[in-house]
Amino acid sequence: MSDFTPLETKDLSVTFNPGSENEVIAFTDINFSLKPDEILAIVGPSGCGKSTLFNVIAGLQPATKGEVYVDGTRVLEAQGQVGYMLQKDMLLPWRNVRDNVALGLEVKGMATAERYEIADRLISSYGLKGFETSKPGTLSGGMRQRVAFMRTLALDPDVILLDEPFSALDFQTRTLLQSEVLDIIAKQRKSAILVTHDIGEAVTMADRVMVLSRRPGRIKHMIDIDLSREERDPVKLRNNTKYQEYFQLLWSELDI
Amino acid sequence: MRLSTFKYLPGQLALALVIFGLWEIAVKAGYLSAYLYGFPSGIAARAYDLTMSGEIFGHAAVTALAAVIGFVIGSTLGSFLGLSLWLNETVAKIVRPFIVAINGVPKIAFAPLIIVWFGIGIESKIAIAAALTLIVSLIATYNGTLETDKDLLRLMRSLGATRLQMWRKVVVPAAVPWMLSALRLNVGFALIGAVVGEYISSQSGLGYLVYYSGVLYDLNGVWVGIIALMVVALLMDRAVTELDRRMRW
Repeated sequence: MSDFTPLETKDLSVTFNPGSENEVIAFTDINFSLKPDEILAIVGPSGCGKSTLFNVIAGLQPATKGEVYVDGTRVLEAQGQVGYMLQKDMLLPWRNVRDNVALGLEVKGMATAERYEIADRLISSYGLKGFETSKPGTLSGGMRQRVAFMRTLALDPDVILLDEPFSALDFQTRTLLQSEVLDIIAKQRKSAILVTHDIGEAVTMADRVMVLSRRPGRIKHMIDIDLSREERDPVKLRNNTKYQEYFQLLWSELDI
Repeated sequence: MRLSTFKYLPGQLALALVIFGLWEIAVKAGYLSAYLYGFPSGIAARAYDLTMSGEIFGHAAVTALAAVIGFVIGSTLGSFLGLSLWLNETVAKIVRPFIVAINGVPKIAFAPLIIVWFGIGIESKIAIAAALTLIVSLIATYNGTLETDKDLLRLMRSLGATRLQMWRKVVVPAAVPWMLSALRLNVGFALIGAVVGEYISSQSGLGYLVYYSGVLYDLNGVWVGIIALMVVALLMDRAVTELDRRMRW
């Protein structure tokens, strides 16, 4: 268990249009490994390659140099090994909640009865019981994002990638979902990477924060966030002095 | 919907009454020639004759049959081809200029060719209607597939979906609204196809009725044919609306 590394990158670099005059280095020499149960937040100024890094880790885009390993296996192409959640919920509007949650299992070829059972269990444990056959268009933004999270969990990935998944939500829904996601990740012993531009969110949710520099993005700092799960209540945390110190520290590290 | 339809009915009837009234008066007072324009009471009398003899139903059935069969063949094939083009980008790129070229030509120009190939029976009318609707469905549906949300496709890719899975689970359902709007246009195109085929060469159908009434300067007969075409179009549109209601997500 101690040797288990859910995710690791080695010398990861991405260069757009290499060799041409409009060559752009998105980021370079990204080395880090994720511990089991850990949430790592990635923050950085806009244009530092956060989203590109995210896509490479998800296997949606090849790296120019370097490697990504999930559970020790090199990721060359996306196969659902990592869960993936974006700012947009990306629910299929013609499918009901159950069929949206079961989408990944369906792609994997799981039988209908089996995948509905998993979907329904997730739906009832995350508070959407009774909405199984509702279409996404009839749900609120927070409910839709919750469905998207269930879809991610249905595949039971060890690593979950979160790309600003709460940024489109109103404050109340956001704080509620943040603590829900924290609980779920802790309970199910998942690891997660959270890409965000919200420093407060990074401190609230992450065990470690990676600060990327301006383009070309490099790891500028790795900061451990020493807050217990109990302290991480998004509302109570605002008055915690440690939270405020971390916030100030990260703010000064960002080249904004 | 229902209620608002009826809400405006009195106004609509009044408008029709005014138009027909003015028309009738203009003809009776000698401002318009009955010979060149026809007139409402004459149209009504002609419609009565054609209805009583059952002739109008025969013509309408022939045209509607050709239009509906052509519509079904053309729309189905066109939608299927349009959806399938997404699966292979190379094929799509190769055929694209041909589709654009065919779309640019008034397809009716092909009608004489089709009559030569399919004869003067109902087959040629079906073929013209099918050709017109096929192109419309193909282009609209293919464009629909290209408009699929790129993020949805990325999500599918992150789940490890194959191109065929992305097509079945995302691209096809996403293109359904586009397909359905093409069907709506195709009601008109299918009738154009059938009627033009009948204009060129036929022994029955509403196109035939309109054309020969025109040749014989029976303008009232022409109007009856046109009104009957409108009724057929409305019925077909009603059927498409029902289909739309069931298929739209």
